[in-house]
Amino acid sequence: MSEAFVLNLVLWLPVAGMALVTLLPAGRDGTVRWLSFWLLLAQFFLALWITLRFDPAVAGLQFATSVPWIPGWGVRYSIGLDGYNVLLVLLTCFLGPLVVAGATTAITAQVRLFHAMVFFIQFAMLGAFVAQDLLLFYIFWEAMLIPMFLMIGIWGGQRRLYATFKFFLYTAFGSILMLAAVIYLVWWQSQATGTLSFAFADLLRTPAPREAQMWLFAAFALSFAIKVPMAPLHTWLPDAHVEAPTAGSVILAGVLLKMGTYGFMKLGFPLFPEATRAFEPMLLALAVIGIVYGACLALVQTDIKKIIAYSSISHLGYVMLGLVSLDIVGVQGAILQMVSHGLVAGGLFFMVGMIYERCHTRELAAYGGLAKLLPVYSVFFTILMLASIGLPATSGFAGEFLVLLGAFNSAWRQHLAGNSYALVLNAIAVSGVVLGALYMLWFGQRFLFGASKAPHAPLHDLVPREKAILAAIVAAVFLLGLFPQEAMKRTELAAREFQQLVQRAPAHLSLR
Amino acid sequence: MNWQILFAAMLPQHLLLAGIVVLLLAEILLPRPQGSPLLAALAVAAAAAAAFLLQRAGFQGTPFPGQYAAHPTQMLAVLVMLLLALPAILLARAEFRAPRYYALLLSSLYGASLLPGSESFLTLFLGLEIMSLPVYALVVMAFRRTQAPEAALKYLVLGGVATAVLLMGVSLQFGATGSLALGRFETLLSSSSLVALTAAVLVVLAFFIKASIVPFHTWAPDAYEAASLPATAYMVVLVKAAVLFALLRVLGQASVTGLLVGVFGVLSVASIVWGNLVAMRQTSLRRLIAYSSVAHAGYLVLALLGPAGGRFQSVTLYLLAYGAMNLLLLASLPADEDDERRDRVEGLRGLFQRSPYAAVMIAIAVLSLAGIPPLPGFIAKFLVFAQVMAAGHVALAVAGLVASYLGIYFYLRIVQLMFMSPTPAHSGAPLAAGAVDVATGLLCLLPAVAVSLFPGWVLGQL
Repeated sequence: MSEAFVLNLVLWLPVAGMALVTLLPAGRDGTVRWLSFWLLLAQFFLALWITLRFDPAVAGLQFATSVPWIPGWGVRYSIGLDGYNVLLVLLTCFLGPLVVAGATTAITAQVRLFHAMVFFIQFAMLGAFVAQDLLLFYIFWEAMLIPMFLMIGIWGGQRRLYATFKFFLYTAFGSILMLAAVIYLVWWQSQATGTLSFAFADLLRTPAPREAQMWLFAAFALSFAIKVPMAPLHTWLPDAHVEAPTAGSVILAGVLLKMGTYGFMKLGFPLFPEATRAFEPMLLALAVIGIVYGACLALVQTDIKKIIAYSSISHLGYVMLGLVSLDIVGVQGAILQMVSHGLVAGGLFFMVGMIYERCHTRELAAYGGLAKLLPVYSVFFTILMLASIGLPATSGFAGEFLVLLGAFNSAWRQHLAGNSYALVLNAIAVSGVVLGALYMLWFGQRFLFGASKAPHAPLHDLVPREKAILAAIVAAVFLLGLFPQEAMKRTELAAREFQQLVQRAPAHLSLR
Repeated sequence: MNWQILFAAMLPQHLLLAGIVVLLLAEILLPRPQGSPLLAALAVAAAAAAAFLLQRAGFQGTPFPGQYAAHPTQMLAVLVMLLLALPAILLARAEFRAPRYYALLLSSLYGASLLPGSESFLTLFLGLEIMSLPVYALVVMAFRRTQAPEAALKYLVLGGVATAVLLMGVSLQFGATGSLALGRFETLLSSSSLVALTAAVLVVLAFFIKASIVPFHTWAPDAYEAASLPATAYMVVLVKAAVLFALLRVLGQASVTGLLVGVFGVLSVASIVWGNLVAMRQTSLRRLIAYSSVAHAGYLVLALLGPAGGRFQSVTLYLLAYGAMNLLLLASLPADEDDERRDRVEGLRGLFQRSPYAAVMIAIAVLSLAGIPPLPGFIAKFLVFAQVMAAGHVALAVAGLVASYLGIYFYLRIVQLMFMSPTPAHSGAPLAAGAVDVATGLLCLLPAVAVSLFPGWVLGQL
């Protein structure tokens, strides 16, 4: 009871923060920043406590709350932690205070609104992760769009209006079809089983007939694939990333993109097992295309923010690869890769923001030899760059390695059964690792080494605030890289459950 | 006649009537009457309180058997309309000081409040006309606009057409069934005779004209644009609510089946698509609201396709969310001496810097109208589509949902103008929100918050 209260506290703390920030008198920007930072830090420590208290040996929900919300329609306010979301909740709460700390000098206009929006998006993202009711999940899922729309549109770069409309309209289109699927799914369930319920647990129990599954899965998958984003639905991402302020990019890369892969993992695949198996070859191909295509695009970019944006597409391709392998190790690797990418890409976006604040350009050609000009910056950058490549001892290695291990596990079984399709695609996916090293190292070489040049001559190195942000991220990257077991044991039961749900035999349930 | 029942069953109407009489006397007797908005608001609040108490008490009574009946569902519809009328009156106080505006508004409201309790087409027709006639005058009272008389005439003519179509349908029903009772309308729906079906279609089409459903919507943009802002608010919210409650009353417990499913489905989806598409191109805020209200009328008519049991709930919740948010939008618009400038969408540019309160309120209103969760518009829209799907019209529900996607862009553009565009150099000083403005805003916001945070509770009351 009291433990469930803590999860509610974590979820609703941002709402309190939003109210406080809104009610503060105008012109108290310093107070707003401090208040937001401390509230989000407190939220992180609560989330950390929950994560440590999370019992890996217990299958199913922990810290669960479930009360009727709209009794007439069978909608419940139902939240809880399980192996699927526990690490993602921690990641979200970890990045929250860092985002606020990172925005201290970058955001000087409409400070109250900015922090209110940070709280708003924290609330929506956490809600989407912990929700165990389909309507509740959908509400949080869609609610995320409003703060992100404002964040890109108000504090963004030159083409911010184009980028933010594209972001909103792209993602909203997927969501509308998902809403239709949600309503149909629940309606069908109530016809078939006689109980009207939006609870994940109830919906998972009785899969729809194969025909319906195909349509429903297509609608869900479209929405999730846009959010991930999977090629060819990724075109909103580079625009949104490049135009967003640093805080927006960090939230977008750090957490928001994981919504898509989380959606596939928690809902898309388990709710529609037959459709998943039917679509698996296609999804596998799209994941591999995402890995290679994202990497190739990252290779040719001249804007440093775009390099990282396209690398996100590539890295999330790995997450999808791990998920579609339907292998326990692959799925665990996918979750690890989600967290790792959140840390690494988030950190890299922070670093891009820091250099942009100093030089006001993101053109790679304008920079060179920063290792001499900004030694501390360069050390942090090198670490995050290597983590992005997946160097052993960093979180990137653990995630990518496990994903590929799982993917080959599953592909090899199929190969022995006479189907080499997955094996060939996985072999191509491995080339993405090489490409990843190529674009990141080449980027690092041009950025950090060579003849020293920068648009603004006397550059001051990182201030303590910036050092603290990056140190926290780097510490997390190493912690996850050196002790992945701590994370993996928390996700193991969920991965088993996932595999079981996706590979179960079709149920024979007819309409009553 | 039982005077006690007459007194109790129509107590909200009596209170409105008392307000009208006092306002008219003030108009005639006092040289410079003061405080008429307050008086009108008090009359409506008293009527709402009476409706609330009668509804809570589960009062049932038939003061005029066969013509008018009071029961909890009817009282609830009256209560919803009265609650929505309250901010509509308060937001008129700056523009209209004379009692005659409020006397007309209350008269129209009186007519509207007769509709949900009608038992025969006679009462329904009376209610519709009492509601409509003062509105024509309300439109023309915006003498600041040169187009006002033209718009009022257009509205009057189309209103007349609607009346004629309704009367034609009603007389055909009388011919087919020999009765004017609303209860007999249900039998028309299940009948296969051509006369009965024609009667049903004509009656429904008359209401579609009044609710501005495509292709009968062309009066709405002109009338809304030319009318003064408070009159627009009244038409957008109250007239639409009254027409929908009347249509609900006409349909009774009958399900929409057969030919009428096609009429309802095609016209409502067409309204959603066309209203949203044309709204994108509007530069006048009131025309934009008009076209968006065409789209919203589409959702409301679509909701009528739901199972008879849940229809009242979904329509009422939708009207509550739609009405409250439109009123919030119109009440929060910054005041401007120049009515045409106030009406320009571009005029909202940089509003957040000038008046953060107004900008946030308008943003909440438009995002809710766009149906973005967690705002109340989403819950209402969700219920509508869930009902349509529950009635088995899966294709229509999906078509309506996809069409509703078209409605996001122009609402987002309003948010963009207010928050993301710099304030034009010549715009005035920062605007402060007055106490009554905030009170009006809260009056609209309160049901919205209730709907989005505790939808279960709100639905339990419906």
